[in-house]
Amino acid sequence: MRVSFEWLCDLAGVHDLAPDQVAEALTLAGFSVEEVRPVDLSGILVGRVLEQQPHPSSRTPLWIHRVDLGDHTRTIVAGASNATPGSLVPVALPGTRVPGGTLVRDGKIAGVPAQGMLCAEDELLISDDHSAIMLLDEGHPGQRLEELLPSDAWLEVEVTPNRPDCLGHLGLARELAAALGRELDRPFMPPFTGGVEPPGTDLVTVEIEAVDLCRRYIGAPISGVRVGPSPRWLRRRLYAAGVRPINNVVDVTNYVALEYGQPLHAFDLARIAGRTIVVRRARPGETLRCLDGETRRLSPDMLVIADAERAVAIAGVIGGEESGVTERTTDVLLEAANFDGVGVRAVSRTLRLRTEASSRFEKGLSPELALAGARRAAALLAQVAGGRVHVNWVDAYPRPQEPVRVRLRPEQVDALLGVHVPLQEMEDILRRLAFQVRVGEDGYWDVLPPVFRLDVRLPADVVEEVGRIYGYDRVPPTLPGGRRTSWLPAAPSRDRRLDPLRHALAGAGYTEVVTPAMVSAALLERLGLADRVMRVINPISDEQDAMRTALLPSLLQVAVLNRNRGRASVAVFEVARAYLALPGPPRQPEEPLRLGVLRTGLSGPEEGRAAFLELKGALERALDAIGPVQVDYERAHAVGYHPGRCARVRVCGRPLGVVGELHPETMACFDLGGRAVALEIDLEPVLAMDLRRRARPLPRFPAVERDLAVVVDEAVEAAALEATIRSAGGALLESARAYDEYRGAQVPGGRKSVTFTMVFRSPERTLTDAEVNALVERIRSALAGEHGAAFRA
Amino acid sequence: MSGIEEIERRARAIAERALEAIAAADDEEALGRLRVEFLGSKSELMRIPKAFAGLAAEERPAAGRAFNRARSAIEEALARRAEELRRARLADLGASEAIDVTFPGRPPQVGRLHVLTRIQREVETVMERMGYHVEDGPEVETDWYNFEALNLPRGHAARDMQDTFFFNETEDLLLRTHTSPMQIRSMERLRRPPIFVIVPGRTYRRDATDASHLAQFMQVEALAVDEGLTVGDLKGTILYFAQSLWGAERRIRIRPSFFPYTEPSFEFDLSCGVCGGVGCRACGGDGWLEVGGCGMVHPNVLRNGGIDPDRYTGFAWGFGIERIAMLRHDVDDLRLFYENDLRFLEQL
Ligand SMILES: [Zn+2]
Repeated sequence: MRVSFEWLCDLAGVHDLAPDQVAEALTLAGFSVEEVRPVDLSGILVGRVLEQQPHPSSRTPLWIHRVDLGDHTRTIVAGASNATPGSLVPVALPGTRVPGGTLVRDGKIAGVPAQGMLCAEDELLISDDHSAIMLLDEGHPGQRLEELLPSDAWLEVEVTPNRPDCLGHLGLARELAAALGRELDRPFMPPFTGGVEPPGTDLVTVEIEAVDLCRRYIGAPISGVRVGPSPRWLRRRLYAAGVRPINNVVDVTNYVALEYGQPLHAFDLARIAGRTIVVRRARPGETLRCLDGETRRLSPDMLVIADAERAVAIAGVIGGEESGVTERTTDVLLEAANFDGVGVRAVSRTLRLRTEASSRFEKGLSPELALAGARRAAALLAQVAGGRVHVNWVDAYPRPQEPVRVRLRPEQVDALLGVHVPLQEMEDILRRLAFQVRVGEDGYWDVLPPVFRLDVRLPADVVEEVGRIYGYDRVPPTLPGGRRTSWLPAAPSRDRRLDPLRHALAGAGYTEVVTPAMVSAALLERLGLADRVMRVINPISDEQDAMRTALLPSLLQVAVLNRNRGRASVAVFEVARAYLALPGPPRQPEEPLRLGVLRTGLSGPEEGRAAFLELKGALERALDAIGPVQVDYERAHAVGYHPGRCARVRVCGRPLGVVGELHPETMACFDLGGRAVALEIDLEPVLAMDLRRRARPLPRFPAVERDLAVVVDEAVEAAALEATIRSAGGALLESARAYDEYRGAQVPGGRKSVTFTMVFRSPERTLTDAEVNALVERIRSALAGEHGAAFRA
Repeated sequence: MSGIEEIERRARAIAERALEAIAAADDEEALGRLRVEFLGSKSELMRIPKAFAGLAAEERPAAGRAFNRARSAIEEALARRAEELRRARLADLGASEAIDVTFPGRPPQVGRLHVLTRIQREVETVMERMGYHVEDGPEVETDWYNFEALNLPRGHAARDMQDTFFFNETEDLLLRTHTSPMQIRSMERLRRPPIFVIVPGRTYRRDATDASHLAQFMQVEALAVDEGLTVGDLKGTILYFAQSLWGAERRIRIRPSFFPYTEPSFEFDLSCGVCGGVGCRACGGDGWLEVGGCGMVHPNVLRNGGIDPDRYTGFAWGFGIERIAMLRHDVDDLRLFYENDLRFLEQL
């Protein structure tokens, strides 16, 4: 909310502090001041336009003005055309920095001397209007603008949603005074100032049909109003708070809204059919032409203000155009009402229309505020528009607000804050915030919050009030301690248990990435990964409208980004969740934690094969880093992977994912050249395995190592050969691993040679050559028998 | 060959020749050759004992001594010369085997952990030192855990602070907008205070993305529930955390604010590391950097988690992991963390 420093300080009775000091006090009391903008108008003069001519040669439309500044005249060029001869305008001379930040220079614009600037309102921080030069309705040439429009400052204050009472200067002034330890000498409820007897007893009737959505409706007829411009003090404050003056009646409603935070509306009473107000739900098909010129279709879930015939306003959101106040209005019906916050918020969202009024109502205002606002506005209308306020205004208030009483022991304040607040200080703080405190004999206090504070219901709420005014900087920092009789044994988190895997992959040359979990549903579909996808129904963009079912697309997008920025090959991994919808009605999906790895920028089938084997090796190292698990592979087909170069990864016998080269179509889908290898596996089952490492006795006898080159048909896979070797080798075969594959001159066509290294060892003795030879012979005949193997020397 | 004199003379002559040759040898290879030449099984010296057979028994010891004298003289000379040569070689090592030590090193190709992972782990480590443990939970949440149980009923204006992605029209299945649902889940799971947990994780808000806003980001949330916890404890915990992460000279402040799930609620700020809290451009002039939100757990939230608010109090605080990373590494654009330009990741 934009707050006028002058207005705020006037209400708070603060005259000795600079804007920054006030901002600091508000911030520490819970009203964060986001910005302090001084509005220094001391360098601006009033000028009178003598002549205005279009610029002869400029391509963009420019206007040349002769401006009288009292003791001299100047030529000033401007882009707006509204400063016609005779106009009074604010003038900034060269060398002046206007509040908006522009430094005015002495120069030429398209060949014409520009000896100053005619200011628009935004340049003077009066409004954000830059479309026209500000026209003054008083003053004389050469006069300092500050005499008409004193310098001020505005503060951009963030009011939290629980404090709609502070969406007005008065509420903030109370907070400021309390924070500074001062009294606010202004009662919340203004006196009633009406006095005119009504000509008839039933001036207007008000009926609230929808009592669930409207808790109070005050309809105050004010007659004999002379609509015209507001006095300068009023307009100045509206400007300072960022609101454009319109006419005295509308200005008063805006002024009171800015002062009390209570939205008000003024109808032209002559246009209220039957002098009747009905607060009801809209009828099907009903429409209303609103004050902003738009005609809106209403629906029965919207609350409207209607007269005897039709809707005249959307309750708490916007008024109707036809019933609005114009220059010809003489009798006004002032509305001060209380509408249900949830209801107003819903309507405002449906209509996509957020107004000053709706943004206040939706936070839930006190119905008591309506009366204060009505009285204040009635008094002001009498003062500035000559209106006569009728004694018997209608105040429909079927269920008055229940008083709130919070019972607490003052020690509770100390106990929650962790500091001793003296009782007197506590009471003073609450009183300055307009709370009433009754000290009971039983050690309890009855604390009655002011009627406009609907957010205080619990002892903790009262503690907060005391704490923020007492000052949290006075609460000493401590650490929780004390004797505990229960505890949780320490255990590393799931994520931390995976750190060794991350480090192993990093050591193997892969960089960890963190990518968004929301991806494009269309992309998943294109890749054939849209099965079990969770779709967001209100995405911001179709780039991010579904939860990923796999990590691979995200990793490929990382490769694309880096390729576009000049790095053709990447080696990356991510540990993150996939999201897999469950069948049936919408419910929380599975969120399996996965490892995805991708390496791109490979060329040719041989490099692809080498990278594939390296990736498998990296995976084994990475898994071994978290525990001594057994990893094996079997040929598989998987979406997005190369049909001949893809394997299922099994960890301790459980299939947990795939590893392989990517299908050329997958690469094409991302417009990536070359080849790539990737893997994706589920990690949670691994973490659930027995990952304890166990020491075994070190071998006491030497091992015997033998190589064996096995020539078999292409289709025979290393894993099958290894299985045969292991079973034929028996207990004395310690390990067997294929390490080379050869095709060529020494091997017949259609066959390949696979070389194994075998290690033999006995735990009891040194093996003799003869023993090992016998074992190798047994292995050879098993290989020959099961796989038709021949052997190379 | 005849007589002891002859043998003694020959042995002496061989030794003299050998010593001369050894002294002239100028590398270890030449010494090796001389060892074979003078001490090898086919050497002249080794033929001498064959002549002992022709000597009288009483002459043999003298002949043996002459032979041994010559042999050990040669061996000593070989060893001495070898040592001399080794010393000379080592003395020259600096010149003979010099390399250009300023030549650039050849680092192995390694990757690294993402900066957000490392920051998260650092945060966890500090908190674990204070007795907190990590809890983990679903990102696709229900309305109850994300809003309702946290004192944010439907239609509540404060829900506007957290624009939400939904999965169904009834809006009861959604992406969690904060890690706070885990407050309720942790209380439900652990049941009996003391509860000291920390929840890092992904969160989602329906915000347009720019340098300081992301629709997908990471939060860390800490929750403490026990008897007698105070605002002072909250302050102390955050101070300990901030000083552990940024250094003992840093200060914190808490400012009143509003969250429906805490009462009282605060924002917490860290004193600027550039100006020390005086005010500079890095902190926007007021000496403080906003870090996150915190507060004493609202009694309704404790109750919704199955904890008796009359007996226990609690505090919770949270912040964005990216925010910590930005403050730590001078990053000025949040999007960089998720874009994964390797040139960026490799800097951090
Ligand atoms: Zn600073």
